[in-house]
Amino acid sequence: MLAYVLRRIALLVPVLLGLSMMVFAIGRLLPGDPVMLAAGPNATAQEIAALSAEFGLDQPLVVQYGRYLGGLLKGDWGRSLQTRGPVLDDLRVYLPATLELVFAAMAVAIVAGILLGLTAAVWRNSWIDYLVRLLSLASISMPRFFLGLLLQLVFAMWLGWAALGGRFPLTGSPPPVVTGMLTLDSLWAGDMSALLLALQHLALPALAMSLSPLATITRMMRASTLEVLQQDYVLTARALGIPPGKLLFKHVLRNALSSTLTVIGLYFGWLLGGTVLVETVFDWPGVGLYATKSILTQDFMPVMGVVLCIGTMFVLFNLVIDLLYGVINPKVQLT
Amino acid sequence: MERRSLLKGAAGSALAVSVAGFSAQALAQQGKKILVIASGQDIPNFDPHVATGYSASMLLRNTYDGLVRVEGNPPKVMPHLAASWTVSPDGLEYVFKLDPAARFHDGSPVTANAVAYSFRRTLRLAKGNAWMIAGVVDPAGIEATDVQTVRFKLLKPFAPFLAVLPWQFIVNPVLLETNKGTDDGQEYLRKNLAGSGRFKVKRNEPGNLYELERVATPWKPGGNLDGAIWKIVRETSSQRLMLARGDAHIAVDLTSEDMDALKDRPGVVRILEPEFRTFSIKMNTQHGPLADVNLRKAVSHAFNYKAMLDAAGYAELMVGPLPPGLMSDPKLKVPRTDLEAAKAYLAKSKYAGGGVKLTMVYVTGLEQQRQWGLVLLDSLKKIGIELEIKPMVWPDMVASTKTPATTADFFPVYQTGNYADPDNVAYAAYHSSRNGNWQNPVYKNPKVDALIEKGRGEIDAKKRAAIYREFQQTVVDDAPDIFGVLEKRRIAMRDTVQGFSFTPVASNAIDLQKLSLK
Repeated sequence: MLAYVLRRIALLVPVLLGLSMMVFAIGRLLPGDPVMLAAGPNATAQEIAALSAEFGLDQPLVVQYGRYLGGLLKGDWGRSLQTRGPVLDDLRVYLPATLELVFAAMAVAIVAGILLGLTAAVWRNSWIDYLVRLLSLASISMPRFFLGLLLQLVFAMWLGWAALGGRFPLTGSPPPVVTGMLTLDSLWAGDMSALLLALQHLALPALAMSLSPLATITRMMRASTLEVLQQDYVLTARALGIPPGKLLFKHVLRNALSSTLTVIGLYFGWLLGGTVLVETVFDWPGVGLYATKSILTQDFMPVMGVVLCIGTMFVLFNLVIDLLYGVINPKVQLT
Repeated sequence: MERRSLLKGAAGSALAVSVAGFSAQALAQQGKKILVIASGQDIPNFDPHVATGYSASMLLRNTYDGLVRVEGNPPKVMPHLAASWTVSPDGLEYVFKLDPAARFHDGSPVTANAVAYSFRRTLRLAKGNAWMIAGVVDPAGIEATDVQTVRFKLLKPFAPFLAVLPWQFIVNPVLLETNKGTDDGQEYLRKNLAGSGRFKVKRNEPGNLYELERVATPWKPGGNLDGAIWKIVRETSSQRLMLARGDAHIAVDLTSEDMDALKDRPGVVRILEPEFRTFSIKMNTQHGPLADVNLRKAVSHAFNYKAMLDAAGYAELMVGPLPPGLMSDPKLKVPRTDLEAAKAYLAKSKYAGGGVKLTMVYVTGLEQQRQWGLVLLDSLKKIGIELEIKPMVWPDMVASTKTPATTADFFPVYQTGNYADPDNVAYAAYHSSRNGNWQNPVYKNPKVDALIEKGRGEIDAKKRAAIYREFQQTVVDDAPDIFGVLEKRRIAMRDTVQGFSFTPVASNAIDLQKLSLK
């Protein structure tokens, strides 16, 4: 098992190297001129050249790439042309916000999706099943930004139960930064008031993010549960008088989870790279907005930083999912 | 923690949350005078000699001080760090007497040496607002003649000198020298302050909010604000909602539709004022069919200005290259829709036989620019000219302006006034030294260059006005642009905000100095 994990982590190196080369090449092949843009409309040609030299962008591409890789090894992820600050500093600020949002959304999607999928399968073709299928279809069809606006209107504007946007009240004092995730930091500080405020802000964006994976997980879970329920060993277990609850959660669920786990792993990566619309609607200062702003100004280094971060996490999430296969199903051998 | 105490804490917190709310109203309930401003723009850098953009200007004008301030409509230069000043008759020497009360945040006095140090740093870095004084102020020509007197010997007379000074901020040299590092203090000032302004940064959450708090004893009297929050709200509709709910006191990036929705809303005051911000469609005067002045005039006369104005929301049509209030000539005759005149100019051009196909680019996602492109397409069709409209992302558009050959036939440009002087618009938009950048990609006329240079060097107001009249007429005769619209600045605020007076320069970079909350 340990050898398997180490081998998978070692695989990160070529994956990230390939990713960085690809993003670096695409960034440099684009027709725009980020230095000209960052220098501003009143900059002279000399000022533009000076800024280009300051950021090493006057060097040949190979040298630039070599310096970037060398910097990475020393923990230097480059500097943003727009903010003139280190990319790593920016990532430390923006990434925890996105991770918190994605983890919350996935937690909702996984718990609710599995339960709804199981329920729909057990009561197949009943009104519950039809309702779950209808809601799944609606959830997967609705654009996330539109859903976000609807949630804002109903829960923030009309009912006043949740915040309109942001991560924490303007008035409040957020907990001291440990992870950068306000819910965890509030727990760490033992500040339950801050935790509730953070949750009140997290609820709507997380819900808006969660519905699409929730619908997929529900449908996946329903289909695989139906398949498992028709297996002979389930019939045997029933004949042996095993209580339905025990049968469902001990035997059926574990077998039905395998294919759903694959979807969960994929959704983690997908959500990490797809938060921008929800972040925009809810003014959630996350990595999606940071990346979008950087892409629109062709600020290469932040884009590289975001891609490498998301790439690393995507690989790690899927490693965890692969390990979970073995935990859930002992027949799966990780070698 | 025991389960019972955890539950107790949670219940108590829920109550606290429901009472506290999330808003500016909650701040008011706490008895704090904290102004909440909703804006779409982040503040990526605090260095007063590097940062640009209206959000940075807001932060800098409230945390640092310049020698003078700009306020009122029409804008007036007012004493600030400089209590008084004199100008030599030839306009080459300015002597400023500093206010002895002025103090940096650490309590040390703002001295003439600090002023000289700051201007030299600005010129050395050649970033941010350095372009406003580059080629005019020489580092060797700045002298602290005593602790509170600083003399500038300019390289050449520069009439807008006082107008650019509100945007040249003074830093604390002692603090900066201590934190100079290897980059002239740029890394330090990126996140830290070294100013003397009324406020300092309390909370810095990039991408989310910036909270300012008033310094304990500001050196200059002002409004009653204890602080201000610059809250980043990207959707203008969300800004509107926040304002309507009382979660924000001021929203600075509203659309015409938002302003309509806020009309007659109780507790909301709308500010709709013309600003020194122009929108014009530049024509490629150096390359392609539009190098022919008669074709440009045909286009200018064919264009449907009324349709453009209708699509613009709160706006008025431009009358020539300069906005009203910046020595614009009220008697100037500019092209208006006249198909007969358009056809006559077309007949005089090299393209009388027709078959002209032109291209216009616009910024992807800017719906209003696309609509104006459609107005142009429809207008040109009437004189037999085809138009292709291409969306482009802004970096690509900027890069395309490097040469006349890569610049599109029509290139739409918003131009924001950085300082209250006709030189700002004239130099940026029509001087050939700006060619190769988006504000003036290609237009080049030696006579116009000479007039602009003469205008910025002339310190006699009457003579300047005559120069700018000639400049405007020459530009109109050359027809390098379809003179478009002056969009009105759209700001909305709660009626609890007091002391606000609109200034048509950087008006969304809210000046907190005199603001108060009821």
